[in-house]
Amino acid sequence: MKKAIFYIVLVIAALLFIYPFIWMIAASIAPENEIGTLTLLPSGFSLDSYFQMFDKIPIGRAFVNSMIVASSITLGVLVLGSMVGYALSKLEFKGRDLIFYIIIFTMTLPFQITLIPQYLLIVKLGWVDSYMGLIMPYLMNALGIIMFRQYFKTIPQDLIDAARLDGCGELKIIFRILWPNSIPALVTIGIITFMASWNEVLWPLIVIRDEALMTMPQLVTLFAVGGRADSQLGVKLAAAVMLALPIIIAYLFFQKYFIQSMASSGIKE
Amino acid sequence: MKKLYSKNISFVILVLAMTFLFGCQDSDNGKENEFIYWSSNNSNEIDYARQIVKKWNDSHADYFVKHQPVPEGQSSEEVILASVVGGTTPDIYSNMWEGDVEAYAQAGVLIPLDTLAGFMEFLYARCDSSAIEEVRSQNGHIYQIPWKINPIMLIYNKNHLAAINLDSPPRTYSEFMEAGKRFKKDLDGDGYIDQWFGYSEVLVTWWQRFFDFYPLYLAASGGAPLIKDNKANFNNKYAVEVFRFLRELYRNNYFPRERLSARQDPFLSGVIAIRFTGPWEIAHAEQYKPEGFEYDFTSMPVPDSSDSIPYTYCDPKNTVIFNTCKNPQAAWEFLKYSMTEENDLLFLEVTNQLPRRSDLLENVNFDSYFERNPMMRTFAKQAKHVRGTDQTPVLKEVFDLISQEYEACVIYDRKSPEQAIEDAAKAVNLLFLD
Amino acid sequence: MKNKLTPYLLVSPYIIHFILFVAFPVTFSIVLTFHKWNIISPMEYTGLTNYIRLFSDATFWKSLGNTLVFLVIHIPLQIIVALLIAEILNQNLKFRGFFRAAFFLPVVVSGVVVTILWQQLYGFDVGLLNRLLVKIGLSKIGWLTDPDIAMPSIAIMATWKNVGLYVILFLVGLQTVPSHFYEAADLEGATRWQKFFKITIPMINPTIFMVVILSTIGGFSLFIEPYVMTGGGPLNSTISAVLYIYKQGFFYYHMGYASTLGIFFAGIILLVVVIQKKFVERD
Repeated sequence: MKKAIFYIVLVIAALLFIYPFIWMIAASIAPENEIGTLTLLPSGFSLDSYFQMFDKIPIGRAFVNSMIVASSITLGVLVLGSMVGYALSKLEFKGRDLIFYIIIFTMTLPFQITLIPQYLLIVKLGWVDSYMGLIMPYLMNALGIIMFRQYFKTIPQDLIDAARLDGCGELKIIFRILWPNSIPALVTIGIITFMASWNEVLWPLIVIRDEALMTMPQLVTLFAVGGRADSQLGVKLAAAVMLALPIIIAYLFFQKYFIQSMASSGIKE
Repeated sequence: MKKLYSKNISFVILVLAMTFLFGCQDSDNGKENEFIYWSSNNSNEIDYARQIVKKWNDSHADYFVKHQPVPEGQSSEEVILASVVGGTTPDIYSNMWEGDVEAYAQAGVLIPLDTLAGFMEFLYARCDSSAIEEVRSQNGHIYQIPWKINPIMLIYNKNHLAAINLDSPPRTYSEFMEAGKRFKKDLDGDGYIDQWFGYSEVLVTWWQRFFDFYPLYLAASGGAPLIKDNKANFNNKYAVEVFRFLRELYRNNYFPRERLSARQDPFLSGVIAIRFTGPWEIAHAEQYKPEGFEYDFTSMPVPDSSDSIPYTYCDPKNTVIFNTCKNPQAAWEFLKYSMTEENDLLFLEVTNQLPRRSDLLENVNFDSYFERNPMMRTFAKQAKHVRGTDQTPVLKEVFDLISQEYEACVIYDRKSPEQAIEDAAKAVNLLFLD
Repeated sequence: MKNKLTPYLLVSPYIIHFILFVAFPVTFSIVLTFHKWNIISPMEYTGLTNYIRLFSDATFWKSLGNTLVFLVIHIPLQIIVALLIAEILNQNLKFRGFFRAAFFLPVVVSGVVVTILWQQLYGFDVGLLNRLLVKIGLSKIGWLTDPDIAMPSIAIMATWKNVGLYVILFLVGLQTVPSHFYEAADLEGATRWQKFFKITIPMINPTIFMVVILSTIGGFSLFIEPYVMTGGGPLNSTISAVLYIYKQGFFYYHMGYASTLGIFFAGIILLVVVIQKKFVERD
């Protein structure tokens, strides 16, 4: 009896979380004049909204841009972050603690403080309207470094010593010895970083003006806010679906990792 | 082995350092007899610019013009700003909003055109004196050529007006109120109005007021400026009347407070009967209108006491020459060429936007165009009674302050019109203190 | 044998990045607060003008107040809903994985999508929520048009978007509660509610504090939701501090003033987070 109530509550709650997405997809393939009154099933099926949207905004290009930017950032955070994390956890050197405290300090620093001057820096470097402007500021991630440091600490020193005896350089130790033994950390940091940069809107809005270089969320935001959609709701929803789809698909396949990664990022902080 | 890897580290750092160094853009603006010309990125205007540039290059061997649409972005204003900051401005830009020019002029990045030979003569021949005074900078120079306009007018759904027994669109505030009363309806019977007389964007974003308060203020006041001698000039009965008129529209539910723009086009889907818009609406309506939909344009409504032809805001886009240009006189020759009678007609035909010249209706060369496009003739008639913007570098702030008061008074009825206008004027005057 | 330079080479990318993207911007930002600058004209030294203006800028204080309203609604709502769902999921039920995945779905999707979607749900005239309300005989609500309701509406939406993450965090927390605690309570005849308040809540207190801190930081960066949905209106009731800074900086190009707002706001955030952390450490 009690269980039945639980199930009912859960099913209703789950519906509340899934229904809007289903509605969005249904509305995006409904004829334009039905959207306003649509609850779920459109009378006909039409891809008009999608064709119009592809016609109006370079969403394919934006997808590629987002992929390039998010992948570069993720790769950078993994490679550079593990280098720094390794130095901080396994090597002795002067100033190590200082650097560690600086990293902790930057984690507490709100981004609001650097928003304006960082933009001005990008302007001075000539990186407005370039991938550089989008990627460079995010190539390092304090949380990533800290997580690598924590994880590498759990790896036995023997392993590293043995590798050194075999004549391995430090980079080889990191990428050949530590990485294969740190898959969970790599996956977690990778997913968090990728997700965060994929969904970032504020920064692209600030540094990218050229439509050909816009990321997907930025393009869709401007499309939703501005007049380019010609007040056609279906077109906006189609753009929203296109933006949601890649992440939803990835999520459906790697659901477990997504949930674990995001949860552990919360716990570590 | 170990050495190899530390070499790799230095390589990584080197690459990183290189990327920092090579991030800079080169700001080479080309040769002395070659111009970069940016046009708007609207497809019709690109088409026009390509034709005009080809004509010029075919007939003028000495100066070569290279056309490029302004990179598509959040807004062309932002793209221009980015190019000014980055030092990558074109020689000529033909789509500068009049209200932006003063700030750039004061920053010293524009050529004062009145110093070029033949410029003033051309201007006097093309425009009437009020247009010339309108573009004159605070320091007396002229940095822009009045190029094209899109006047804001009242668009109305003919069938909707016929349905409430109106043969002609409402002209005065009272006629407007009466029409609003007759037209608003609760179609689905849920106790809420879902068919309103009109709609104007309720967002507080400063430029939204170009489509309601500002043209209505110009209509009521006979084209009075908002700012005069670095002081608010709008604290007068006209502005108060406009606020009161609009507030009544919202109070009585003739205009909805909801953002209809987040839905489908309310005008074409018949949810409203009128709105304030420009000639670009024609192309949009022709593309998306349902079958049997009929519409036309008329002037902005005016106070009951007014009987002259109402002024309106004309959304002027002008042409400027940036100071990165190596030969402004020659660039000006190209611009003059692009605004001959023949080429203005080409512009009109291709873009359906009005060149800002005073003889649109008198010059027989344009007759056949207006014959074929009767709605554009309505706009051309209105073009004799239009205003652009006041020349001040804080125009956005002025409109923002007015817009804040507009929202409080007109839409949410939290302030009396008198109070709202007074508060806006006070805040605007503070802008000029420093 | 070990190269002394190696550790420094390994951390050098971080140092470069720190100087370029943290140290320099922060310093420059502080310098900017004493200047007036619209990027295209030269910088102009204005002393403390920006700070004086900040203290009398009603819209800025309004934006701080709005952020507070958002947090006051968002945080408790988030904790209650997340805890409730987590508690149910923690029972031995079938399809747990499915439900967990469903609640988590909005977490992974871009905020822009969620906002576009909810804008339709929140529509006054034809929005799904209001149509539902009318159908069951209630009156419509001005979700985004009523200045008193717009911010709560956004807070509800943000809760919907994020709650899945906190469900997971609470689930992890709940599983750390040793089952013999409950068994002991059962022997003493405790009710379900007693067990929940006397055992569960105190045991997962650290998780609750963590959720509070995480949602506080998230709430302070509220931007895209009001930007897309309301533009900050009606009557500035949904303008968030970040949105206001963005407008000052990138609508009006008041770079000096926007920096001042940024520094001041960042100071407030640091203060709040430090106070919250103190609370956690004391417990």
